[in-house]
Amino acid sequence: MTPQNQPKVSPGLWALAWRRLRGDKIAMGAMAVVIAFLVMLVLSFTGLIAKDWDAEVGVNYAPPTFIGKAGGGDQIGGVTEDLGPPPENPYDPLKDIIKELRAQSGPEAAAGADAPVDDYGIKDPLEKEMAEIRAELSKSGATAAAAKQETLPFGADKWGHDIIKKTIKGAETSIIVGLVAAFLATALGTLFGAVAGYYGKWVDDVFNWFYSVFTSVPYLLLILAVAAVLQQKGVMTIILILGLTGWTGTFRLIRAEYMKHKAREYVWAADAIGATNMRKMFVHIFPNVSHVALVQISILVVSFIKSEVILSFLGFGVPVGTVSWGSMLNEAQNELILGKWWQLTAASVAMAVLVTAFSMFTDALRDALDPKLK
Amino acid sequence: MENTPLLKVSDLRVSFKTDKTHYVEAVKGVSFEIPRNKTVALVGESGSGKSVSSLAVMGLLDPNTSKIDASSRLEFEGRNLLEMSIAQRRDLCGKEISMIFQEPMTSLNPVFTVGFQIAEVLRLHMGMSPKQARARAIELLDEVGIPNPKQKIDAYPSQMSGGQQQRVMIAMAIACEPKLLIADEPTTALDVTIQKQIIDLIAALQKKHHMSVLFITHDLALVGEIADEVIVMRNGEIREAGDIHQIFEAPRDAYTKALLRCRPSLDSRPMRLPVIDDFMKGGDEPAITHQERSRGLTGDEEIVLEVKNLGKSFYTREGLFGKKEFQAVKDVSFKLPRGKTLGVVGESGSGKTTVGLTLLRLHQATKGQAFFDGKDILSMSEKEFLNYKRRIQIIFQNPYASLNPRFTIGQILLEPMRIHNIGANDDERTAMAYQLLKRVGLPEAAFHRYPHEFSGGQRQRIAIARCLTLKPEVLVCDESVSALDVSVQAQVLNLLQELQEEYKMSYIFISHDLAVVKYIADQVMVMNHGEVVEMANSDELYRDPKHPYTRTLLGAIPRGLTH
Amino acid sequence: MTAYILRRLWQMLPTMLGVIVLVFILFNWVGGDPAYILAGKMSNPEQIANIRKQLGIDQPYYIQLWIFIKQIVTFDFGASWSTGESVSNVILTRLGPSLTVLIPLTILETLLAVALALGIAFVRGSLTDRMVMIACTVGLSISILVYIIVFQYWFAYKLGLFPVQGWGDSFAENLFKYSALPILIALTVGLAPNLRLFRTFVLDEVNQDYVRTARAKGVSERRIVWVHVLRNASIPIITHVMSNLPYLLIGAFLIERFFSIPGIGREVILAVERSDFPVIKAVTVYVAAATMIFNLLTDLMYQAVDPRVQLK
Repeated sequence: MTPQNQPKVSPGLWALAWRRLRGDKIAMGAMAVVIAFLVMLVLSFTGLIAKDWDAEVGVNYAPPTFIGKAGGGDQIGGVTEDLGPPPENPYDPLKDIIKELRAQSGPEAAAGADAPVDDYGIKDPLEKEMAEIRAELSKSGATAAAAKQETLPFGADKWGHDIIKKTIKGAETSIIVGLVAAFLATALGTLFGAVAGYYGKWVDDVFNWFYSVFTSVPYLLLILAVAAVLQQKGVMTIILILGLTGWTGTFRLIRAEYMKHKAREYVWAADAIGATNMRKMFVHIFPNVSHVALVQISILVVSFIKSEVILSFLGFGVPVGTVSWGSMLNEAQNELILGKWWQLTAASVAMAVLVTAFSMFTDALRDALDPKLK
Repeated sequence: MENTPLLKVSDLRVSFKTDKTHYVEAVKGVSFEIPRNKTVALVGESGSGKSVSSLAVMGLLDPNTSKIDASSRLEFEGRNLLEMSIAQRRDLCGKEISMIFQEPMTSLNPVFTVGFQIAEVLRLHMGMSPKQARARAIELLDEVGIPNPKQKIDAYPSQMSGGQQQRVMIAMAIACEPKLLIADEPTTALDVTIQKQIIDLIAALQKKHHMSVLFITHDLALVGEIADEVIVMRNGEIREAGDIHQIFEAPRDAYTKALLRCRPSLDSRPMRLPVIDDFMKGGDEPAITHQERSRGLTGDEEIVLEVKNLGKSFYTREGLFGKKEFQAVKDVSFKLPRGKTLGVVGESGSGKTTVGLTLLRLHQATKGQAFFDGKDILSMSEKEFLNYKRRIQIIFQNPYASLNPRFTIGQILLEPMRIHNIGANDDERTAMAYQLLKRVGLPEAAFHRYPHEFSGGQRQRIAIARCLTLKPEVLVCDESVSALDVSVQAQVLNLLQELQEEYKMSYIFISHDLAVVKYIADQVMVMNHGEVVEMANSDELYRDPKHPYTRTLLGAIPRGLTH
Repeated sequence: MTAYILRRLWQMLPTMLGVIVLVFILFNWVGGDPAYILAGKMSNPEQIANIRKQLGIDQPYYIQLWIFIKQIVTFDFGASWSTGESVSNVILTRLGPSLTVLIPLTILETLLAVALALGIAFVRGSLTDRMVMIACTVGLSISILVYIIVFQYWFAYKLGLFPVQGWGDSFAENLFKYSALPILIALTVGLAPNLRLFRTFVLDEVNQDYVRTARAKGVSERRIVWVHVLRNASIPIITHVMSNLPYLLIGAFLIERFFSIPGIGREVILAVERSDFPVIKAVTVYVAAATMIFNLLTDLMYQAVDPRVQLK
């Protein structure tokens, strides 16, 4: 009968892989970075952070805090500031005469002989009303002025949006697109590959025809063509475009794996003991192939993040209201000439860090699941 | 000068890296000598360290994953190889010491012609010009027995057969007239008849060029034909070394004795083959039975499977629209009695494996019938055949590929029971699985383990247990012991015989190993190029073969000490 | 051999048909009636009606498909919706500039990546190897956009070493003055993935049995890598480069756009921005055809370099 004390179940593929992965410090580091991004994603998605990214909280092109505020004067729009007395007009023809007159009217006036003249002593008929208007403006203006900061932690863009918040939101867009599209593409590729590789013959021919049609058109061209036609933009659209065109690589890999395994003796043994096709495909073969699919998801996430950024840059990606690193890079292009480098840096560095971490993690994952002597 | 040994290995210790910090010792302090102008055989099973030792001599071990202990010495003509610079060692390789390997197909560079590769070693070590090297290469090809050397010199390895490729390797190795030729399992991947040719070639070349040969193999019987001295290794250590006559006639070490006795011999058929443990337990030969088992058919046994005119062809594309037919099995008929064994022998390409696979409908037969219990199982529908699947099962050759690497042993055993609804629930099935594990000699704990934790022999036993869950009436053993070490082979063969007696199963035993087939079969069917060439009771066949092909085949069997 | 080629050409037909149908579905069905797009570009309703009639919008789908096929075969797609230039002319004139960048780029990139990969094979497993691989990984993670923006800003705008944008009239001028920076950028971007891939190819060969035999023959490591391994690794390398060529044509579109190089890639982007369907359709179909032909050429070349392969 069943023994009372179950002997320890020896480790299967996943447990062994995890053990190997744990020993690889770089992989662990990369994974930590990826998890950090994912946490950030969840917080951002649920609105806990960066919710108000589109509030114009900074002055336009506000520089990062560690640089210090830009010199005043070139503020565009809506900032009331006490400009002080009007500067002296060097071409004033009455300048010298006024100086003499002041000198004559007494020593205090003489002391201020060089001070610029304010309206030549003519009283402003609208002075009272102007004072009231000015008071009104400065009230709302003051609050507005107080709210618009001169520097933000990593600067602001053209409209005064906080770069850090935009970067976080951009991460959210890219990661969501990357993950969902990668899952979609891998799921399709695996299903098609399994059926084509397992059944072979005319089924394989049909799928191969499908595959060659999709791969005859260069990937980016295909995406652009689809983007051109689908007038409606949105995150969902991009996910569908990337997912429905990106299954080809996975298809080829999984198909080759299924063809290889189908010829292996353990599958023949399964046949001999009477397993049905479905059973052989999904119960017997699939566990031997699942690690390939997992690595593919990882690879596709990286590839799709990069594609999404390019698409958004060109304007074919996310709609105007949504932030993407691509749109940030687009804006950064013009800002660079003006000497404002912070949006470019933020987007580039954030993307580089995420993609590098993910790539390293993918490499380590692949090695952990299928170690070969290097 | 003639007294100093050509190669003297002293206290060789080699370790391999298993992960960043751990090393495992594969060769544990091995010492031996190779005299001039003699053939020394280094014999051992897998894991014995024989190949590793030879790779160490040639300097072919990867320094990133292995290390040789500082106390080891490898003295070639008095000079310690381990103290030489890489350049000096490279000078020796190919010129004074050469090596040939087991797999000639992958050991030759596929993108260069045969001539280029032979000329390379001539130009490198002998400084020949391209023209001189080419002429010498043609001579060498002729010497090793390649027909049409002037044409073959421009052929690519993929255009030659396995035997010819190995001859090319030999030509490359002897091109510079080395003093020592190391041959690492050179015939293991070749057919039995080719094997004999290559062995004879090496022996002839050894005499002609006065060189020493270090011949590495797992087959002790093979060695008897050409070796002067024998070294026996196990688990990284030398068990016994000595003159060949002494080893064969009066072995001292228990393991050596086991190696000699565990192989089924052509002269006797004990009830039960001796296994390593019988010898290693100490004492001389306590458990060996001398009782003979008789095998053979009388003609009035009950027939469980009758095959008529079985044929199987494979089609490949030819030209624009045509198809080319390759007949793997042409016209095979036989009758299999209940509880008896039919042996099917032949070399690679004879069609013997295809016969087995076709009977299980893993291939679809092109023609013919197979009557099982009165019904033709080849022409049934898939659904009908499902009921018969239980009753005819197969054990494959490769123990490493026939078990699903992702299933535990328990899952592997439960799977057939689940499919055929044997047992009322998983608990009952698990109980049956435990019983079967015990029956095939494995511990219950194996249930929760994965295949990669078991050795080749253990995996074959698991495969046998898997078949037993269905209690088949016919079991096809497709080269089921060919990939196993000699000692393990004996265990599995004994197990198969016990099970046959207990369950009254009929076996179709397919193999290229004639000694094993003679031991286990009642009737033997010899196949060549898809046809049955001769069929007779096993004793008769071996005693008095009628067909010329059968005679060639039997003549090629290594018989142990012959000189 | 001829039988093989004929059979492959025959097999290409269903794929070509599939691409045509795919493009058709995308643009004629999903894209729908182009009237509203055209309305934004041409104010002349007669012109619009003419185009609609040419495309056969009011006819059933299968007739539209037939019209499309006819266009492809006769190389006549009508005129671009935005510039009025004949589409075939558009494609032909843009091909030159694209190739002026593409061909030198491919040659340089391949040679550089192969040389580096072989060099790395010598030091495999060492710190140098790992450092280079990490550098490649990081290099790959930075978007090509960033490379273009930064390089263009720094080398062209700030340092003035290259023209920021533009294209000239003479071939030499185009090759050396205007293509220099684009090629440099493309090299930098393309080197990392190619180096990683080629390194894998080379390392796969280094672990093969025939290398062990060569060592047993006393062949030097240098000769092993540069003669034995290279010759074998060149098979997957050549295959990879050949089959990637059609993709490069479009992949350079970002560079062409930034540098205002009048090539096919830039044309495609402009066409997409302006919803210029004829141009997009034509380019897609012809690039697909080019890809298929290149695949056939790749397979033929494979047979020439690998003696093990026999095409039947």
